[in-house]
Amino acid sequence: MVQLSLPKSSEVKKGKYFKDKTGSKNLRKINIYRWDPSTEENPRIDTYEVDMDNCPSKVLDILNKIKNEIDPTLAYRRSCAHGVCGSCAMNMGGKNGLACTTPHAEIDGDIDIYPLPHLKVKRDLIGDLDGLYKQYQSIEPWLKNNSTKQTTEIYQSKEDRAKLDGAYECIMCACCSTSCPSYWWNGDKYLGPAVLLQAYRWIIDSRDEERKARLKKVSDELKLYRCHTILNCTNACPKGLNPAKAIAEIKKMLATANV
Amino acid sequence: MENRPLSPHIQIYKWHISSLVSISHRITGIINFFAITLICIWFALMLLGESNYQIIKNFLETFLGKFILIGITWSFSFQMLSEVRHLIMDLGYGFELQTTKITGLLVIFGSIVLTILIYLIGRGLI
Repeated sequence: MVQLSLPKSSEVKKGKYFKDKTGSKNLRKINIYRWDPSTEENPRIDTYEVDMDNCPSKVLDILNKIKNEIDPTLAYRRSCAHGVCGSCAMNMGGKNGLACTTPHAEIDGDIDIYPLPHLKVKRDLIGDLDGLYKQYQSIEPWLKNNSTKQTTEIYQSKEDRAKLDGAYECIMCACCSTSCPSYWWNGDKYLGPAVLLQAYRWIIDSRDEERKARLKKVSDELKLYRCHTILNCTNACPKGLNPAKAIAEIKKMLATANV
Repeated sequence: MENRPLSPHIQIYKWHISSLVSISHRITGIINFFAITLICIWFALMLLGESNYQIIKNFLETFLGKFILIGITWSFSFQMLSEVRHLIMDLGYGFELQTTKITGLLVIFGSIVLTILIYLIGRGLI
């Protein structure tokens, strides 16, 4: 159900203030969502003054700087640092994105950093994505070909291969799904843009033989049709993909095909 | 485990044209529901008696009455244009970020222009 306010135990309180110790003239205030699972306390916003003269260009660089130089207790996920792994997905300046590809110069004023929206927080900027992964599993994201005789590779024309462009590049960072208000309110049933984009990727794969079964599976009031083209997903995607269009294409296929 | 907090969502997420148009589409939809009911009640009352007509007319000439009328006109205009935008999207067009911005702005400004046009036509000024 639509729950606009946060539960009492999730309300965000004011936290600590870390004053700059470097004496730099070029300071920026970074407000970061913190929650420590070992205490009973509510989440809080800690503010850090960061010396921008000695900080590279991306938001992830700021986080690394804080963790290395100011407060080692800060927890966040990161790995590749160039937009391939999808680990450092978070909400920066009110918009989801990858910390490693988002330049801090693009955000005006103080920088607010939150975990991905509407997730159970494990700690600080780390959200629990188990539900999303289970949904991903439910669409069976692998090639299904029932012929047992064929032992060679399955050929695909250039045109059919081109259909996968814009769908296969997804890194499952969850920026889109956690930006979607429909997913916030119905995340237990609605599959969300990330999973539906992948469902689309397998539906349109010319080598896959389960197209009809796949379409039938997503054809559900709650699983698919909770998309109301709010387009937060397409706006958030750090890889420039268009989940909203993929969802519209699935709806179109269902409207025209006899499933 | 159970006491894990829920991360902030609508409180912190930045609005953009498409999300604004989408939420307004819902709100105007609800307004229109009540507006149509209200208009039906007015008509029913008029059928019930001549004096009722005068009462409704007097009410519509007050500031509040005019505000409601113009509000309903805008709400209908917005809903109509936004619905056309949705129809085009249902056909699979207009999903590029730049296009959604432009069509969103067209809906917002179009609804205002349409409201003014309907007002002027209703007043017999055009």
